Amino acid sequence: MLHTKESALEKKLSQLKPGETGVIVSIQALTIHHRHHRRHGWGFQRRLEDMGLTPGTKVVVVKSAPFHGPIEIHVRGSSLALGRGMAERILVSVEK
Amino acid sequence: MKKDKIVISLAGNANVGKSVIFNHLTGLHQHIGNWPGKTVEKAEGTLHFKGHTIDVVDLPGIYSLSTFSIEELISREYIAVENPDLVINVVDASVLERNLFFTLQLMELETPIVVALNQMDMAKKKGINIDHKKLEKILGVPVVPTVATSRAGIYELMQTSVDVVEKSIGNPTKIRYGEEVETRIQKLSEMASKLQLPYPARWAAIKLLEEDEQIEGRIRQLNPKIVSAARKLAKEIERIHRHSCSTVITSERYEIAGRIAREVQEIVPPTKLPMRERLHALTTHKILGYPVMVVVILSIFFAIFSFGDYTSQLLGTLFENVYSVYENLFGTGMLATLIWGGVIEGLIAGITIALPYLIPFYLALYFLEDSGYLSRIAFLMDNLMHKIGLHGKAFIPMMLGYGCNVPACLGCRIMETERERLLATFVVTLVPCAATSVIILGLVGAYVGFQWALLLYVIDLLIIFILGRIAFKILPGEPTGLIMEMHDYRTPHLKTVVKQAWFRLKEFVIMAFPLIIAGSFIIKLVDILGFLEPIADVLSPVTVVWLGLPAITGITLIFGVLRKELTLLMLATLFETADFSTVVGFGSVQMIVFTLVAMLYIPCVATIAALVKEQGWRRALFITVFEIAFAIFVGGIAYRVLMLTGM
Repeated sequence: MLHTKESALEKKLSQLKPGETGVIVSIQALTIHHRHHRRHGWGFQRRLEDMGLTPGTKVVVVKSAPFHGPIEIHVRGSSLALGRGMAERILVSVEK
Repeated sequence: MKKDKIVISLAGNANVGKSVIFNHLTGLHQHIGNWPGKTVEKAEGTLHFKGHTIDVVDLPGIYSLSTFSIEELISREYIAVENPDLVINVVDASVLERNLFFTLQLMELETPIVVALNQMDMAKKKGINIDHKKLEKILGVPVVPTVATSRAGIYELMQTSVDVVEKSIGNPTKIRYGEEVETRIQKLSEMASKLQLPYPARWAAIKLLEEDEQIEGRIRQLNPKIVSAARKLAKEIERIHRHSCSTVITSERYEIAGRIAREVQEIVPPTKLPMRERLHALTTHKILGYPVMVVVILSIFFAIFSFGDYTSQLLGTLFENVYSVYENLFGTGMLATLIWGGVIEGLIAGITIALPYLIPFYLALYFLEDSGYLSRIAFLMDNLMHKIGLHGKAFIPMMLGYGCNVPACLGCRIMETERERLLATFVVTLVPCAATSVIILGLVGAYVGFQWALLLYVIDLLIIFILGRIAFKILPGEPTGLIMEMHDYRTPHLKTVVKQAWFRLKEFVIMAFPLIIAGSFIIKLVDILGFLEPIADVLSPVTVVWLGLPAITGITLIFGVLRKELTLLMLATLFETADFSTVVGFGSVQMIVFTLVAMLYIPCVATIAALVKEQGWRRALFITVFEIAFAIFVGGIAYRVLMLTGM
């Protein structure tokens, strides 16, 4: 992955604070080594993409539930709840 | 061309008002079943419109036509292979971009489409103005604005649908991807068009590039070279864009949807924060959200139980009167007793669960679901449910379980994967249902002390937590996280809520009543033949020696299979008193142990039926046997611990 560190900072979506905005850089597939689980790691990534979380998409974090709970994000005009584990696998770039 | 019989299917995202439209169209002529061999609901109905007989098939609410869930697979197979005359794509006008993403995929299946631009009122409230004529022009398919909840636009929707089927109007715009993707799609679709496929060649080509396993499998059987060519082309795209090919395609598709949405809508956000958003902020608030949730859930349960208690007492009196009439007519002979005690009491048992408890329960559930509150609860509880390998949505069936395990088992369908469904189903059968609460409160709460009853609930939660966690570790597969749309709060559509409750109730009656009746018949027969006492004796090593209970309780535990609160009623009959404090050899320790076992030992017969339906008889059997063994194990341990404390 190319980093453009001069103008933007890369973070996990889960690290954004409520009110912050990021642009999706990539989604990291699950690192699963069992053969049968390959689909699962994919399934999760595709699911996120089907819900509109594709690279280049602007995401606003609305709130995050306490004790590392899920986060609420605004994406493509709708509101999504996203589990913490999911949000940790989404890399976003944040304007400095 | 005039067609006598038209088949229309409804497709769209979840919570866009599809079922409201379905209800308007089909009224009472509905049939709810399952898709063949699947635990996915299939709703069908018929309507007559201007001399046409129209079959309407309501497809599950989905976000994409990929292979993420069974619902998606079923929907696309249905559209592609069964080839309905028309697909009505119900679109939520207030979330246009996400919905159009799905519309584009439907268009790629090259099936005739009419778009129902629904929830126009909601969009207006959000300050979104949509030029539907322009949308129609861009998509090349008819677009009809509707407000399903007030029936606006439904007639026009049907008129347009019939027109499309008869006159083949509409000329769907070809969705064109970026150059690098487009040329490769065309190359592949040329190859695919030579095969005998039930799908359009272009769609198959796109799916091949997305490495869709199901389509790859199909095409590999016909011509494996095409699959390897597709893989190669996908790799090329991946090199150009530095993202997987499916990511690139999804991304571009969303870009197109976004561009169309921006072109046709004008957004002037309201200056004042509307009520529904304030409600949303409160109910998902990181501190306040929880007390609000507790108050909402408890007041619903309180209302249901008060109503249920009152109604079941009324019913009880009614049935007593019926019995005295019956006795006068048929006497107390063996056959008369068998029919009353076996068949009619089974029926009564069913009615006294269904009428007072299940009906209000389902109504409340669908009311909450339709309003949008359930998804907020799932959001709040996600964190906790992750501890047992599930995500927030699983809290909803669990919550249902406190009312009745049957809807809870069926409710586990909201989980996305097989693994999650199994895990959630297992967990919900451990939740003490209303009938179990009758035992906990009526025996331990009344005779030992309320704090002990409360302790039993806490122990149950701990057991759920521990067993859930163990099951989560044992079951193969990776847990899925929460990805859930939280649609705006809205006023629930009462007719749809009532209808959904009604269908659930019907489902319960069909599934559980025969079993409850058969079960009570068998037990009554055993009773009349005088086998109950011998069975109690056979069970005594477990009941008396291991659990330290009176031998007689073995009989009541058998009856509990039908309905758990029967264990308590039977106990009163067998002890010949309703005041358990006077019974010798049935002290506090015995009461606690007995309740603990009754709470855990077996899902009742109706729950077992639901388990079989959802998970197959093997898993149902396994869960049942496990829970019996586990209850006996825990009961014995509790007995010894309690004796040690010198209670």
